[in-house]
Amino acid sequence: MKPDARGWRIALVPDIAINPPARMAAALPDVLRVLEANGYGMLQLPPRGKHSLLLAVTADQVAEYSHHGYAVVAIGVHREPSEGLHWRQLAPLLRHRGVTPLPPRHLIRADVDAAAEEQRLAAFLAGYDLPPEEQRHWRV
Amino acid sequence: MGIQGGSESGMEQNAPNKVALVANCLLNQNAKVCQGAHYPGPVSPVVEALRSRGYRLQQLPCPELAFAGVRRWWAVYEQYDTPAYRAHCRRLAQAIAPLIEQYVRRGDEVILIGLDGSPSTGVRFTSSKPDWGGRPNRPEDDWEVVPQRGIWIEELEAELARRGLPPVPATGWALDMGRLDEAASRRDLEEFLDSHKLARGSRGDDPAAT
Repeated sequence: MKPDARGWRIALVPDIAINPPARMAAALPDVLRVLEANGYGMLQLPPRGKHSLLLAVTADQVAEYSHHGYAVVAIGVHREPSEGLHWRQLAPLLRHRGVTPLPPRHLIRADVDAAAEEQRLAAFLAGYDLPPEEQRHWRV
Repeated sequence: MGIQGGSESGMEQNAPNKVALVANCLLNQNAKVCQGAHYPGPVSPVVEALRSRGYRLQQLPCPELAFAGVRRWWAVYEQYDTPAYRAHCRRLAQAIAPLIEQYVRRGDEVILIGLDGSPSTGVRFTSSKPDWGGRPNRPEDDWEVVPQRGIWIEELEAELARRGLPPVPATGWALDMGRLDEAASRRDLEEFLDSHKLARGSRGDDPAAT
């Protein structure tokens, strides 16, 4: 039987980083490509607006992962409201579900060199994981 | 093959977008049942096929993960066909439907890419075995693949219909149909993307017709 190929790492990603508007597309790193290259799955956060139930549903999923040996990070976009992560709403929802500490955040910027930002993001993703003893406990 | 290129459109543009509603696990294989993940993260052929055609990606919530947990075993349609699971799926549908409604009402071309063979996210096919139960036993376990929606897709479509929205053209990536043939699955998806009619309300993907 083919072994399970999951990467055990997940990134919360703003809609604007997955579907950048034309004015930002060339200025932002290709986040999906960097996630794939580093073996991360993604959980997409909604675009601007009020999405209370969807954020609660997302928090449920993050809690399930966080409590069972998955490494979860958040990728924000500099100068976007709440970094595109709805963090003011999402952080309390995560804490309420026992997700502590909160996922580490990495901000990408549209006002600097996109290639350098892509490398910075890749280095952040490659360098993050749970401590080895936690990995051994869960990842069989 | 890796993911190449980006979307050509964004929500801030006034022109209609092409929006693909994508099953959660097609962008995050960590959502799969134990022993069910074929990729570390996103299913790159699906992402690439959509992005190269200019689709925005809209990830759907994973119904099984938040209900049965990330350490769940595989199951068939009948095992998930319970009032509690359907209520859970309706809650998720109510969470994502406002976004979908926004896309449809602003004139975007919306399609759905599910997961054929899945008890929840199957579009053309789901897995079925009415008398299945008890301890999982892979690979000896045997089930039927039947032309029918999965439960999550049934509930999502029902919620969209309740909002007066037309049916969304849909297909499935054949990840849960037994042995995965990635090249054939890719051809199948690309055929759908390149040939389906995006006229509102048309639906050439009726499972009964396949």
